[in-house]
Amino acid sequence: MRGGVGRAGFTPGEVVRQAVLVLLGLLALFPLYFTTVNSFKDRVQYAESLLNVPTRLHPENYALAWAQIQGPLVNSVVITVTSVLATLLLASLSAYAFALMDFPGRHLLFAVTFALLLVPDFLTLIPLYVQIRNLTLPSNYLAIILPTVAVGQPFAILVLRAAFEAIPRDMLEAARLDGAGHLALLRRIVLPVSLPVLISVAIIRLVPVWNEYLLPSLVLDEAHRTLPVALVNFQGGGAATAVTPNYGALMASYVLSAVPLLVLFAFLMRYYIQGVTSGGVKG
Amino acid sequence: MTALPGFRSGSASPRSVLTRLRRNWPAYLFLLPTLLLVGYFAYYPAYIAVTRAFTDWDGLNPPTFTGLENFQRAVADPVMGQATTNMGIWVVLGTLLALVMPLIVAELVFHLRGQRRQYAYRTLFVIPIVIPSLVLLLVWGDFYRSDGLLNQLLGAVGLGGLRHEWLSDPHTALYGLIFLGFPYIDAFNFLLLYAGLQAIPEDVFDAAKIDGATGLRRVLRIDLPLLRPQLGLIAMLAIIGNVQYYISPLVLTSGGPGYATTVPALLMYQTATRDGEYGYAMAIAFLLMILVVVLTLLSRLISRGNR
Repeated sequence: MRGGVGRAGFTPGEVVRQAVLVLLGLLALFPLYFTTVNSFKDRVQYAESLLNVPTRLHPENYALAWAQIQGPLVNSVVITVTSVLATLLLASLSAYAFALMDFPGRHLLFAVTFALLLVPDFLTLIPLYVQIRNLTLPSNYLAIILPTVAVGQPFAILVLRAAFEAIPRDMLEAARLDGAGHLALLRRIVLPVSLPVLISVAIIRLVPVWNEYLLPSLVLDEAHRTLPVALVNFQGGGAATAVTPNYGALMASYVLSAVPLLVLFAFLMRYYIQGVTSGGVKG
Repeated sequence: MTALPGFRSGSASPRSVLTRLRRNWPAYLFLLPTLLLVGYFAYYPAYIAVTRAFTDWDGLNPPTFTGLENFQRAVADPVMGQATTNMGIWVVLGTLLALVMPLIVAELVFHLRGQRRQYAYRTLFVIPIVIPSLVLLLVWGDFYRSDGLLNQLLGAVGLGGLRHEWLSDPHTALYGLIFLGFPYIDAFNFLLLYAGLQAIPEDVFDAAKIDGATGLRRVLRIDLPLLRPQLGLIAMLAIIGNVQYYISPLVLTSGGPGYATTVPALLMYQTATRDGEYGYAMAIAFLLMILVVVLTLLSRLISRGNR
């Protein structure tokens, strides 16, 4: 393995490299620091200085922020979790068919799913908005879940198909001889064996769904509003009414909105890294 | 080995299409939910967008066909002209940002001694992904305010004369939005380049060392040429992404002051949602889509021609 010469490397070059990296890393994390320290300040402290850790903390900002974003936070969690799970479920079925079954039209149907990557989001946004406005859905959540699942299909199917194709055929055929149907094979062998890939796909898809702003801002009603939409509204509301926003509470709401991803990445970071690096480009 | 029904296998005996259709009905059942969703929530709206570009449409009433009128209007519209210029600047600078910083960091991390150290730093540069992209936008919007961090820092280092209403000045607003998000180390691009470096065979580096290619020379002579597929992919994604991008001007400046931060995609959005001119909006979207398709094909051709 390259670079496995041991940890003895403290040459000048190494020290400089590490110093530059630490500096860049801290700069990249600066917004987290900025929002966190300022989330504990009152208006006066905020006006005085933006960079210090306040001497007197104001945790009540978090109570204020929580009261404001509690609803949107729950909505975001519901929508993101449902979308990602549904994306995986439907993509697994399709990827199974594409990877392991032989049927007329296989190549055509795969091309149809895959060509979706060429349809840009801005092209469909407005018609989708009009379409959903005229559609009577059983729940407003579905107005964002269904299109999001559709958009996630090509990427998920592509990665899962490759993973399913790599499963040793003997394993599947043995189970098949024991009389297992396709659904049973999928549930008992294919999915369990592919668990790490499923987690990778889930977490890579989850980030953009959690951050999605445009379509939710157009189609979700007040009660189903997601976090990004709510955050923009607070900020905008402050400016429009010419009242200086309560920055402490605003920053607290920013910190709270980062917590779910922080928790998730604390456990699943390596699946994200693996997913991006192994699924990477070849020639 | 016996060919099992419903399984793909190279040795399958030729059967009639009808038999295969009947045998494999579960395959179609498996694909049905995906195809329905993709058809209704992706292809159908795309079809609507393309066909409505040639009509006068308010999003509610049936559209009336107007031929190329919307396109003529778009081409003649001076606002579209400025928006296109803004987009051009954004695409060039945005693509450079997407390439340069992730590349520098990937090189630095890759040349650290020891797997564990590399792993630690790799993780460090992925952590910022937990910051929701809108939070990053809004926080930077605060940095740019008159009483914001940027002006405070300038004052603190004695450059108070440079203090600025960054996003309200037509000369700085566009660049303020483009250069938002320092130090521009996108986790995805960084990981892609890092993985690319890891995929370079050990003996290539050894040979370079013997030839005396070290440090910057090695980066230029060995790493960059061998990272071409990754750099090409990132550049293509950045170009296409920046052509379509309009969230920061939408949220932070509404395209202003004047039209200083208006880009065609934002114009498309505002024309529909604010002015109710859905037909014209779809014509702008159509033109942008053509641009995206052309750019995609072009980059395909370039990367293929170089192989």
